Amino acid sequence: MSKLVKSLALSAAVFTTGLMVGAAQAGDADAGEKVFKKCKACHAVGDGATNKAGPQLNDVIGRTAGTVDGFKYSKGMIEAGEGGMVWDEATMTAFLIKPKDVVKGTKMAFAGLKKDEDLENVIAYLATFSSSAPADSSQAPAEPAPAQTAEAAATPDAASSSSLRESGIFKLGRVATQDEIAAWDIDVRPDGQGLPEGSGSVADGEVLFADNCAVCHGDFGEGVGRWPVLAGGHDSLKDDRPEKTIGSYWPYLSTVYDYVRRAMPFGNARSMSDDDVYALTAYLLYLNDVVTDEEFVLSKENFLEVRLPNEENFFMDDRSEEPHYASKSEPCMTNCKADEVKITMRARVLDVTPEDGGDDDAGVGAVD
Amino acid sequence: MTETKDKGSPSLSRRSLLKAGLATGGAAVAGVAASGARAEGDPLITEIQDWNRYLGDGVDAAPYGLPSEFEADVVRRNVPWLTADAVSSINFTPLHELDGIITPNGLCFERHHGGVAQIRPQDHRLMINGLVDTPLVFTMEDLKRFPRENHVYFLECAANGGMEWRGSQLNGCQFTHGMVHNVMYTGVKLKTLLEEAGVKTNGKWVMPEGADASAMTRSIPMEKALDDCLVAWKMNGEALRPEQGYPLRLAVPGWEGNMWVKWLRRLEVGDEPWHHREETSKYTDLLANGKARRFTWVMDPKSVITSPSPQMPISHGEGPMVISGLAWSGNGRITRVDVSLDGGRNWKTARLDGPSLSKSLHRFYLDIDWDGSEMLLQSRAMDEHGFYQPTKNELRAARGENSIYHNNGIQTWYVQKNGAVENVEVG
Ligand code: HEC
Ligand code: HEC
Repeated sequence: MSKLVKSLALSAAVFTTGLMVGAAQAGDADAGEKVFKKCKACHAVGDGATNKAGPQLNDVIGRTAGTVDGFKYSKGMIEAGEGGMVWDEATMTAFLIKPKDVVKGTKMAFAGLKKDEDLENVIAYLATFSSSAPADSSQAPAEPAPAQTAEAAATPDAASSSSLRESGIFKLGRVATQDEIAAWDIDVRPDGQGLPEGSGSVADGEVLFADNCAVCHGDFGEGVGRWPVLAGGHDSLKDDRPEKTIGSYWPYLSTVYDYVRRAMPFGNARSMSDDDVYALTAYLLYLNDVVTDEEFVLSKENFLEVRLPNEENFFMDDRSEEPHYASKSEPCMTNCKADEVKITMRARVLDVTPEDGGDDDAGVGAVD
Repeated sequence: MTETKDKGSPSLSRRSLLKAGLATGGAAVAGVAASGARAEGDPLITEIQDWNRYLGDGVDAAPYGLPSEFEADVVRRNVPWLTADAVSSINFTPLHELDGIITPNGLCFERHHGGVAQIRPQDHRLMINGLVDTPLVFTMEDLKRFPRENHVYFLECAANGGMEWRGSQLNGCQFTHGMVHNVMYTGVKLKTLLEEAGVKTNGKWVMPEGADASAMTRSIPMEKALDDCLVAWKMNGEALRPEQGYPLRLAVPGWEGNMWVKWLRRLEVGDEPWHHREETSKYTDLLANGKARRFTWVMDPKSVITSPSPQMPISHGEGPMVISGLAWSGNGRITRVDVSLDGGRNWKTARLDGPSLSKSLHRFYLDIDWDGSEMLLQSRAMDEHGFYQPTKNELRAARGENSIYHNNGIQTWYVQKNGAVENVEVG
């Protein structure tokens, strides 16, 4: 399969631009804008687009791979460009189906698009920001007439429960089906409630992590730039600058499973299978030295046997017992301080936006 | 007041701060000129102005009205280097520019974890499942058929002021206190919806979940859920703004903003809390001894003087002036705010003005006759349960400097003779 894709990509590279742009018009750019949401975490396109985790994608159609100024590409991508790879309908389709199969060693951590129409549409969308793709006005969707929109808004929506239920106080809403509940109820609790069937190994997790997570979190969970750190920080909680990670701070392993399953990879949530999430969770345990055996397999069955080291160090809110709240005495109104009040510290960051970029580590801590 | 160098990027820069200083000086001069009018009179009066002669725009110039072009500086601002990416970031309400207690919808600070979801209301569903007699699905239309209520509540991010734990950092109450807003919500009581589904006797916790790319979840004890939580679709009379969770969000009055799940799509009832990421990794308060408080839900009594403040220096000379500020408490109503001009040695009780609503912002004023000397301005709020705002040093003594959340310490503004204001701490 991967060979097939590669040869497709190679043969595509010798097509002429005209042909390829013609093909690009098969897609619907408007629908492609929606598909592009999957790319947005890492790519910007349009006015003022800059490089993010991935290069900006203005004028990408017709561009040689790996050539945006100021972006640090993988060696693989640079070599692909030097080998003559140009982004067009065919090369991009192959790349977006399975990035790693087309560009060996690419650092684009993206599982790939599966549906043909998504591929066509997102490429059509990108083509609208590429000057080498001729503008084709027949492709522009007609503006919906205002009257139509008003009508659509007035139509009662099909799913609404116009007939009342038999039971209940107001008898509003309808009964949720088992399939609907199963589709949304994916939460996991420390007692194991919600864990799906399945398993995954540290070794599998390492591969998945490198492919899907390391662009932002670093190969060892150390965090790239300002993306979150996921490992390390042992015994740092009393330090001046504690590092709160899964290993050093989080109380429960179930939280890792739950969170990765619902929200990661950032910008492509819900794309990992249940087994993948077991494997990633196992790998995160390994990165945090909670398990040390590379052969370790985490499963629904042994999940509750793993405990995170900091579990005992959380306690229920007791702010009301702090001296300043507990006393509740009338606050002092006059001559509350013996001496004239002195300034002990002045605003550290007068300049809230560092214009010279030199103030990045001003050290004021992150907003969480 | 001040002009930013670029309307497109509303971030406070050194340049605009410098300009603020200059503008201040300029305004003082202009003020003198106006009051001591020249013999021939103020040209703004003696000469006919364009706006007095030519016609303005007709009624439909802006079908959705916008603020005056002269208010272009009244915008949310962010501090780009605080977070890795704008889709999981924060910006701040320009408190220094506002008065009264209501925050205009377009100025309410934003905090998202996966960007702003865009959801057609016809495509939105709210599910209730878990320990209920009948798991239910509602459309937006269904929800609007339940009895409805209106309430004004403040929403404060627990990390508001989180950058100030180690000492004064950011110069402006927009940045030190701007993760708060106050609007009137319209919606149905969460209690009404839970009763419709029928909570089983072992249902002790409710978990709201968002429909956005972060699928935000938190655990809320049943007692709170049945007390005053609101499932809301309007803010200040109009639909929620997309960045505030359109079409549906949860209001958890008085409790930390992270729990007010936006794009609310599901409520699960359970017998135990879920201990999800936003109540373990985040929103737990690490103390100096390495232990951490969890479930620190209530927002403590807090206040700040919004004018004068670093972004709102005194632009006139000595004489009458208004010290204006905001106070709030997650415990209920604010009953008193004291203001000090001398860094906390002596206090005067300020005047609370406007409606005093439970778990809402309160506006206070102290009208003074400024003698032009330096001031160390502070404000101290007290709520109806007798809790009052601690000093920053009291908080640090109890918690250390790594708590991030729930910094409600008393703020000090240093007012210089020229009217410039700076964020400082005092002994
Ligand atoms: C998790 C981050 C991430 C996501 C999501 C992502 N990309 Fe990428 N993309 C990258 C990175 C990083 C590179 C650079 C790859 C390299 O150097 O090997 C890249 C490279 C590319 C390139 C080559 C650009 C060039 O200048 O050569 C294209 C085209 C591209 N991506 C398109 C897409 C599209 C379309 C999507 C969505 C369907 C997408 N990407 C989703 C991170 C991402
Ligand atoms: C495009 C960048 C990106 C990619 C790729 C990515 N993440 Fe994340 N990750 C983030 C951001 C941003 C956050 C914080 C989100 C927020 O603010 O709520 C985060 C948070 C996390 C956290 C919680 C950290 C904490 O301390 O609370 C975990 C665990 C995590 N990611 C795991 C993963 C895993 C596993 C993958 C791969 C399947 C992955 N991430 C892929 C950007 C990324």
